[in-house]
Amino acid sequence: MAGEARGLSLRQFKAILHKDIVMELRTKEMITSMGLYALLTMVIYQVALSQSGTAFDPRNIAAGLLWLAFVFTSMLGLNRSLVHEKDQGCLEALLLSPVDRPVIFFAKAIGNLIFLLIVQALTIPVFAFLFLQQGSYAGEWWMIPLALLAGAVGISGVGTLLATMSVNTKGKDFVLAVLFVPLMYPLLLAAVSATSAAVLGGDGSVQQFWTGMGMMAGFDAIMLLASFALYEFIVGA
Amino acid sequence: MTEPATIDAAVEVRDLTRTFGARKALDRVSFDLPRGAFLSVFGPNGAGKTTLVKVLTTLTAPSKGTAKVSGFDVVADAVELRSEIGLISHNPLLYPDLSAEENLVFFADMYGVPDAAARVRELLVAVELDHRRLDLVRTFSRGMLQRLSIARALLHRPKVLFLDEPYSGLDPHAVEILDHLIEQIRADHTFVMISHDLAKGLALCSHALILAKGKVVLSAPREELDEAEFAETYRATVGLGVA
Ligand SMILES: Nc1ncnc2c1ncn2[C@@H]1O[C@H](COP(=O)(O)OP(=O)(O)OP(=O)(O)O)[C@@H](O)[C@H]1O
Ligand SMILES: [Mg+2]
Repeated sequence: MAGEARGLSLRQFKAILHKDIVMELRTKEMITSMGLYALLTMVIYQVALSQSGTAFDPRNIAAGLLWLAFVFTSMLGLNRSLVHEKDQGCLEALLLSPVDRPVIFFAKAIGNLIFLLIVQALTIPVFAFLFLQQGSYAGEWWMIPLALLAGAVGISGVGTLLATMSVNTKGKDFVLAVLFVPLMYPLLLAAVSATSAAVLGGDGSVQQFWTGMGMMAGFDAIMLLASFALYEFIVGA
Repeated sequence: MTEPATIDAAVEVRDLTRTFGARKALDRVSFDLPRGAFLSVFGPNGAGKTTLVKVLTTLTAPSKGTAKVSGFDVVADAVELRSEIGLISHNPLLYPDLSAEENLVFFADMYGVPDAAARVRELLVAVELDHRRLDLVRTFSRGMLQRLSIARALLHRPKVLFLDEPYSGLDPHAVEILDHLIEQIRADHTFVMISHDLAKGLALCSHALILAKGKVVLSAPREELDEAEFAETYRATVGLGVA
């Protein structure tokens, strides 16, 4: 019985994820809007830093700039992942089927994570080219991807949760924007700290990196548990 | 919980109330429907018909009262209940950016339908959309959407089918297809159909229900109905206007 139920949940999870990826490949809605937005942010950074002179080393603020771009980009993109279900009345069809609500959450969150990672992968080279030419990157090569991944997990999870909340609310974008930043605050702090340690290196940077990673892992775990417990309630509202 | 009604009841509704703010979309609605019955629900716009179906299909929670479908409580046993029911609603509930076949395969997965590919093919043939199975649903006409949503609702062989104005927007041929499908599965399914077409609704039903302003105005088995009297009651309630 239990095994059967788990088998069905897995099948449903795969079906939702597969459907979202197929639809995204077809419409390219989220990737284009998020990718474009991230690139535009890079251009704006370029302008903003154009007068900073040679004495200033952009590496000092690189981590902050990067995460700023990712936060705004995901606020824009994650909203779409559930809005398109709602607009076409498909959320109802999804809710009508015998699927445990957390399965919907995990499938949507993993889908969003994949899209966000793609956007990150597109953004990083541009960012490095524009801002990190002088002075080399100090950390181990795997530090940055690891920090990006831990942060992206948190962003996708919270983003998916809030996007679901906001589909049933009137001021959709408003809800997401207002709640997103306060909820993300601890994660962002840890993400910026870990990424910064990786970029800058120096004394104690390894320890700073792992402290940040630990905080992110804790945040991700709490967020996933909370989503698991709350999703039924949120989606049914 | 409440007094046990007939074991055979497919739908059991007790004092069901659903409010939206101050407005009562459903006001202490009670009725029973035996297994295998066909209930036609009539009533003016805004009478609460769609709300009733939404509560019975677990999409909307009741504010007060209880409802059971196929023996499952719509609140407490919602998860089990969902495998037992199918819904054809105003909305097609299909993804425009997926093909007809992809849509059905997706929902077959969601319902854990065994041997999904064969079942999907069988239904595509039944609703005469097999030749368009690879086309995106975005490109479908209203009637084609409706046919595909019928196929979607039948995928998992639900025991109780809810139909919210299923005939609206269908051309005569599509009406025939739907008639034929209903006839085929009539014997081993229970139906709840909302209709504004008095003649059609009466012709199909074994039980009739008229709602107005969220209240049951009339609820009776078909054979106890006097058609002229029924039509008179219906006209009078529709005359009451929008709630
Ligand atoms: N989500 C909602 N929020 C607020 N009010 C609602 C909501 N859904 C329905 N109502 C109200 O409940 C009442 C009943 O609506 P319902 O859709 O059930 O009517 P109906 O009988 O299906 O009408 P129609 O024949 O037009 O389809 C209406 O007054 C409607 O305004
Ligand atoms: Mg209606």
